[in-house]
Amino acid sequence: MLLLFLLFLSLYSFFFIRQALPQGAELEIEVSGELRYALPLSTNKTVEVEGPLGRTVIEVKEGRARIKDSPCRNRICMHQGWIRSGAVVCLPNRVMIRVTGTAGRREMDAISG
Amino acid sequence: MRKINFLIVVLSGILFLLSCTPAKEKLYTKNRVAMDTFITVTVASSSDRDAEKAMDRALAEIERLSVLFNYFSEGSEVSLINRNAGIRPVVVSKETVDIIEQALSVSRETDGAFDITIGPVMALWDFHHGVLPEEQAVKARLELVGYRHVEVDREKRTVFLRKKGMQIDLGGIAKGYGADKAVEILKKNGIRAGLVAVAGDIKAFGMKPGRSSWRIGIRDPRQGNDTKEIFASLPLREQAISTSGDYERFFFRSGVRYHHLLDPKTGYPASGCRSVSVVTGEGALTDAFSTGIFVLGPRKGMETLRRLGFDGVIVDSNGVVSLTEGIKGSIAFSEKKS
Repeated sequence: MLLLFLLFLSLYSFFFIRQALPQGAELEIEVSGELRYALPLSTNKTVEVEGPLGRTVIEVKEGRARIKDSPCRNRICMHQGWIRSGAVVCLPNRVMIRVTGTAGRREMDAISG
Repeated sequence: MRKINFLIVVLSGILFLLSCTPAKEKLYTKNRVAMDTFITVTVASSSDRDAEKAMDRALAEIERLSVLFNYFSEGSEVSLINRNAGIRPVVVSKETVDIIEQALSVSRETDGAFDITIGPVMALWDFHHGVLPEEQAVKARLELVGYRHVEVDREKRTVFLRKKGMQIDLGGIAKGYGADKAVEILKKNGIRAGLVAVAGDIKAFGMKPGRSSWRIGIRDPRQGNDTKEIFASLPLREQAISTSGDYERFFFRSGVRYHHLLDPKTGYPASGCRSVSVVTGEGALTDAFSTGIFVLGPRKGMETLRRLGFDGVIVDSNGVVSLTEGIKGSIAFSEKKS
């Protein structure tokens, strides 16, 4: 009886804690509104995605992310540099990188401006 | 027998816990590119299918409106109006009449500081390549600017620009209007809480799961390397917010910042503010007034916000932040103030 109860309690706690505790910051990479990657911002990685114009290169390093290379003409997305929060959007190549799940005050539903 | 009792206890426990969480609401998000910008729709729903359907319809509505209002597309109603400037009134959709009337009312309230007829002057500025237009050219084009020369006949559903060469550009109001219409669609589709962000023009309704308000950050007009760094945040309930800033499109020449928020009276960038955020019920109004208040400057701008009963945050050209009374209790500043 006790064993079963403990097993049940531990299973429930596992799911409950996963929901209740904040998760680490993640980087989501979307192309044309479709999520392609979701990876922890703490990893060091370079990811490539194909948009309508070609290949966009995204670099994740030391808790930051940036669009490293882009086939778009003006490369405004690349000039935006590194982000730790918020998003960078490449409109011509329909690529968005966005930091989500940052615990604490800076977690916003949207940013105006 | 004892084993059966154990099982009954465990099963009852599971059923009890499940009964505490009936059809839990989750947040769903969908993005799309339209109106030359990035759109995010977020809804609270307990059904994947309902959420998907509502978000798709809301996004489709924004796409539909962007076709009508697109300044750059030959086939848009805005282009049709512009091509017929000084020639004849053109029949347009109810939405185009609606948005132009709202734009004209904002022009009247701001004494022309917001003006959809700024297009011919705006066309002289190239912010991407940092080209300063000829003074004479700006002066000449100012002749074509003036919201009073826009005639709208609601009954006949026509719009007429009195002077040949005049142009309207709804870029300063369409995103907020789009957010309004998308929220209407979400509500019609049974969504009780959601958020539509057409770039920085945001409209929220209802409460998030867990009964918390939507929280919106206001971008720091003088951010460092961390793009979209915010300097303040505030809760948003049944309201919209828009921010206009001198950091969106600009270039420096001889140490002067030339940005895209032009004063329709001079044809040159308005000085006095770094950014203006406006909060009120309608996205079309927050969108247009954030530009209008920016152009009016901090003092006249704050007077206008108070007179209209809107809330707002003004960051002046020295970085001094002014707030309306209604926002003082709810706004939270980040450690680094601009």
